[in-house]
Order: sequence, then structure tokens, then C-alpha cells
Amino acid sequence: MVYLYTEKQENENWILKNDVYFNLHTGNQPFTEQDKEAIFQIDKARVTQDAHIETKYGIGTVRNLSTGCKTYLNVLKNPGKVVGANECGGNVLTLLFALDDIRLYMNRPERFDIKEDVRIMINDRDLVVGKRGYELWWSSEYERRAKDDLWEN
Amino acid sequence: MIYGRIEFRANPFHYDLQFDSRITLVRGDSATGKTYLYQLLEDVKQLEEYRDIRLLNYKSDDFHGTLKSYRDKFIVIDNADILLENEDRRFINFESSNQYLLFLRNCDGLNVSAESFTVLEERRYDVSLRKELVGA
Repeated sequence: MVYLYTEKQENENWILKNDVYFNLHTGNQPFTEQDKEAIFQIDKARVTQDAHIETKYGIGTVRNLSTGCKTYLNVLKNPGKVVGANECGGNVLTLLFALDDIRLYMNRPERFDIKEDVRIMINDRDLVVGKRGYELWWSSEYERRAKDDLWEN
Repeated sequence: MIYGRIEFRANPFHYDLQFDSRITLVRGDSATGKTYLYQLLEDVKQLEEYRDIRLLNYKSDDFHGTLKSYRDKFIVIDNADILLENEDRRFINFESSNQYLLFLRNCDGLNVSAESFTVLEERRYDVSLRKELVGA
């Protein structure tokens, strides 16, 4: 199940500034093989033995990973926390929505692939299934926002 | 328009960025080099011909106040999805002396056109902005 929240909250269980949280917390933890595979899949970056990364842009540190990759790792390594995914591209969102028991914050829809059997609980209230369920929910949400003049950032 | 084109070399890459709209959004997949471009522009703006570039991201002090202080500038904003509030979007719409390059997915509240939507594309180390909406 993916737990999706569309109304922003600011408390210690929410990670909204993914770069900051990764640079200060997540990036200082040891990386598992699963983490390294994700880093390679998303950023095409190899993690070296001394915790540097090698990419087509050169050698750097994990602080140089993309925001999308940092977001994915924040989700993976901080179970239970709600992680903001508004900065993620479709490639990372597809990977995120293939994970189980994760919590994401998105205040707008994005086009990306979601498997047909993925169950998404939105705002602890509405259960939808797969890409079609996700898109239908956002269609009705946009109609509601337009009707109520509730546009938010 | 402050700049119709920004061109520079950062070995092994050659960047040729063309702008057809006062507001350019760079979207697309994660890890396409948006933040890397932002970091390169921090150096490029030291060049005389690109002295009107201003850069803002999540590390910027007083982001909202700084943005509103700019006139006649080419403003680049990284992490714009988590930084821009409604008032910032209104400023971007109505302060027409500035040009914007926004690393931003959510265009709600911005006066954008089909020309505004781009993705970074790299082919054999040549990097450009490809229009995201073709024929729109």
C-alpha cells in the first residue's frame, strides 16, 4: 500500500526539504546493496568504497546525487515518515509507487507509470487502485479545487 | 528577454540553451542534470556577458525577499517546487523586466505558454533544452 497525502503538514514526521534532510541525516547512514542499486538505477552513479560517487559529471559525494535520488533514499531509509515527492520526475515516482508501505506527500498529479495492482490510500480516506484510480482521483480533486477556489502551492 | 541564448563549454559538455519565452520551465525525469546545470551557472555568471544571471535555491537566504528585489535580471531557481509560493508566482507573472529559468514541475498560477515547457537533453555531451510540448 502507498499512503499518499495531498495536504501539506509541517511536523517532525514529514520530510519536505529532501536535499537538506538527506545531506544532514540519510546520507550519513551506511548504504546497503539495495541503496546502491537504486543510486545506479536513478542517477547512473556508482558508489565507491570510500562513499564517493562516480557519474558522467565526474567524482563527487553523495551530496551531489539528484534530488529525485535523495528523495527515493529518504523514503527507503526512513520508514514511517511522510516524504515530499513534488520534486520527483516520473522515473523516480514509478520506482516509489512500486514500494510497499510508504508515505508520500504530493500536492499535484504527475504523469508516470503505476502498476495496475498498486493500492493507494489517499489522505487516509480514499482507496484507489493503479494508474487509472490515481488519475481519476486527481481529476475529481481538481474539479473540487476549481469549484471551491482552493488552489494551493 | 535578457538572454535569448546561453552558450558555454564545461568539459566534457557543451551547453547551448535557447529561450523562446520569458518564463522557461525545465522538467522531465529526475537525474537529467538540472542541479548540475545550476551549479555550472554559478560559475558562468562570473563571465562578463552573463553578469545578469541571478541564482536562487533552497540554500538562499531570504528567498522571497531576494526574488522580489530583482529587476532586469535572468533569474534561475532550483528546487522551485518547494520554494515558490503564490505571491512569488504573481511576482514572476507581473514583473516583466525579469526573465526566468525555473527548475519546476508545478506550473499552476504562472503565465506560461507552450514554449515555456522544456526538458534538458544531452546527446554526445551536447546539452540543450528540448521543447516538451511539440505542436501544442
